[in-house]
Amino acid sequence: MLAYNQKNFLIVDDFSDFRSSVRSMLRDLGAKDIDTADNAEQALKLCTQKRYDFILHDFNLGNGKKNGQHVLEDLMVEKLLSHESVFIMVTAENGQATVMSALEWEPDAYLTKPFNRAGMAQRLEKLIQRKTLLKPILQALDRRNPAEVLAACVKLTQQDQRIAPLCLRYKADALRDLKQYDALETLLRGILADRPVPWAFRALGSLLARRNKVAEAQSVYEQALKAFPLFPALYDGLADVLVSRGESRRAQRVLEDAVRLSPLAIRRQTLLGKLALENQDFDGACRAFRHAVIQGQHSRFKDPENNLNFALALMKRSADNGLDARGRVELNQTLTEVIKDHPHNQGLQARSRLMRATSLLQSDPDAAEKLTQDAVVRLRDMDDFLTPEAALTVADQLQLLRQPKASHAMLKTCAEIYGDDPKVMQSIASKTDDPEILTANTVAIDVNQQGVRLYKAGDLEQAQALFRRAMALQPRNISIALNFAQSLLHGQGPITDPDKLAECQACLKMIGKMPQSDGRFERFQKLQNKAFGA
Amino acid sequence: MTDKQTGLDFSMVIASTVHDMKNSLTTVMQTHAQWRERLDDAQRNPPECGVIDYEFARLNGMMVQLLGLYKLGIDQLPLRPDYHEMDDFIEAQLALHQEVLSGRGITASYDVDDFCPLGFFDRELLGSLVANIMINAIRFARSAIHISVREEEGQLLLTINDDGPGYRPELLTLQPDFVQGIDAVSGSTGLGLYFASQIAARHQRNSVQGRIELTNGGDLGGGCFILYLP
Repeated sequence: MLAYNQKNFLIVDDFSDFRSSVRSMLRDLGAKDIDTADNAEQALKLCTQKRYDFILHDFNLGNGKKNGQHVLEDLMVEKLLSHESVFIMVTAENGQATVMSALEWEPDAYLTKPFNRAGMAQRLEKLIQRKTLLKPILQALDRRNPAEVLAACVKLTQQDQRIAPLCLRYKADALRDLKQYDALETLLRGILADRPVPWAFRALGSLLARRNKVAEAQSVYEQALKAFPLFPALYDGLADVLVSRGESRRAQRVLEDAVRLSPLAIRRQTLLGKLALENQDFDGACRAFRHAVIQGQHSRFKDPENNLNFALALMKRSADNGLDARGRVELNQTLTEVIKDHPHNQGLQARSRLMRATSLLQSDPDAAEKLTQDAVVRLRDMDDFLTPEAALTVADQLQLLRQPKASHAMLKTCAEIYGDDPKVMQSIASKTDDPEILTANTVAIDVNQQGVRLYKAGDLEQAQALFRRAMALQPRNISIALNFAQSLLHGQGPITDPDKLAECQACLKMIGKMPQSDGRFERFQKLQNKAFGA
Repeated sequence: MTDKQTGLDFSMVIASTVHDMKNSLTTVMQTHAQWRERLDDAQRNPPECGVIDYEFARLNGMMVQLLGLYKLGIDQLPLRPDYHEMDDFIEAQLALHQEVLSGRGITASYDVDDFCPLGFFDRELLGSLVANIMINAIRFARSAIHISVREEEGQLLLTINDDGPGYRPELLTLQPDFVQGIDAVSGSTGLGLYFASQIAARHQRNSVQGRIELTNGGDLGGGCFILYLP
């Protein structure tokens, strides 16, 4: 029997009748420590103050509000919920929560309303039994030790072969965290050969994509969607694969399907918006970014880039005849939010002002001029690296706002930072034919490539020399700086040569303001930790 | 989308209304249970409560089924299979029907074969299937219902047996085409079986589909419902 008087409980539901009903059931069972919340924010706050043994969370907390799945994700990401705790998702209807599931974090159980005391007690008892059985795995998860998780899975499976299926998911996650990709692929393919399991499809798809087997990943997702067409997470996976294969139109359609199933997902709306912009579907981009901005209000996924992209989409949508009244209001609101939220970020301050100036160019040229002057000063003083997309948009707008010199400088900087990316250079070439911008970096990039070849061949000294030369030519290029730093830090131990260490630290400092959204940011952080001894 | 111009899509109207009705029924059921808890022992379990509990469960089951059939019809019934412990799954069903069973003096028992402690299925869908079959069994059983789980040729068999008069012969001859059993005049046992067979069929493994089977007899001598899960 569960010792109800020694456990603590949290009930989250927007209906007070339901909260009091569950509370009285728990009291009848002997529970003493019962808290309640009627919204997600309150629930999260309570969880920061107290560790709950049981959380009974209603899935649907009202239209447009965070739902139980959002709260579960927040709790897991913020590490506010022990793996030994029990999270029960309470739903009003079968399958209601299923379609929203991210497949990444799943509750310990679903409980459909209405339920009686006996039914609830049975679930709680059984879930505690299961948690006790899996305790070694769950404790290792709380310690964030995947090797221990893996060992615990093996041991439990040896003790009782029949419970092996209960360990599969933990095992797969542990192999992923340990980067044992071959073993993981074998495990997942084995699971799927036996039965179609939704989470295993997702895991295999993302593993194959990570290993650059994009065609295989695509067919895994396509197969998965045939079996489980109501899982938005599988559409997300397919869209990612299509993007990496350059099929942005198909990717957009796939995400539109996912959004129809489950609109409450900021990251999904953000990606959809970007694809729509890329595909020149400005109506679609407005819709997606509007969703992303609104949902971001109370979320940890709040991102000023969504506001700026929303503003951009609004302007592009009405490029021919100017913004309508609603569009103007939306544009002002979304940009004001950025300016208020990020007072010290010169890049965001400048970009918001340029957006607004561009929108006012016809209707209020004086105001536009003022905003532009302000933005130009801020850009001059800024040391953050903009993403290529942001830099190119800024360059376009500066051109429109009759600031050709500032626009030219922006393109030049962008070419210096991202010159090794042919796609970026192509975009730059569509905006300028200045050889100073278009060809200034070709030598450095060529030297860098030679360096990469020698580095791979094992000729460290020569590679370093080449990277050093490339670095001197293009000191702000992220790829070159990363390669140079990596070649200097090569090997297990710390650098013994103080000159080389100083050189390495200096080159990492040059790119220290790179955007965190850049795919190379993780690599940068690792090198930085090594160079500066984190 | 064209429905917006041509008028109301009546099945959507029904589904959306039933959704609200179900929420309302949930509140009624839970309030009723709370109110009963406050009564004296002598007043708490009058015979009428057995009727009320049974009809609550039946109403809820029918609404779940109706919403399920609606979603099935528009291809929006999600399927999320996973491994579940069979004893847990059956215990949960019996616990949910505890009041109804004791109110009617029916003993419910179960056994799970040691060699198949886990099943692979969508717990919510199968839960509503088993609940509907249970409600039907409770209606006809005299004093006992038995649920058993065993394995046969790689398939999982879940059997619900009662000691009532058994299924009507015409239902037995209908299978597997239960849709013919739906009768607007005599009630809709056939509809429940149709829904059950649809849920069973959505569980597939290596292109083998799940299915249901009706017989009479079994250890208890009454109706015997068998679910095959691949």
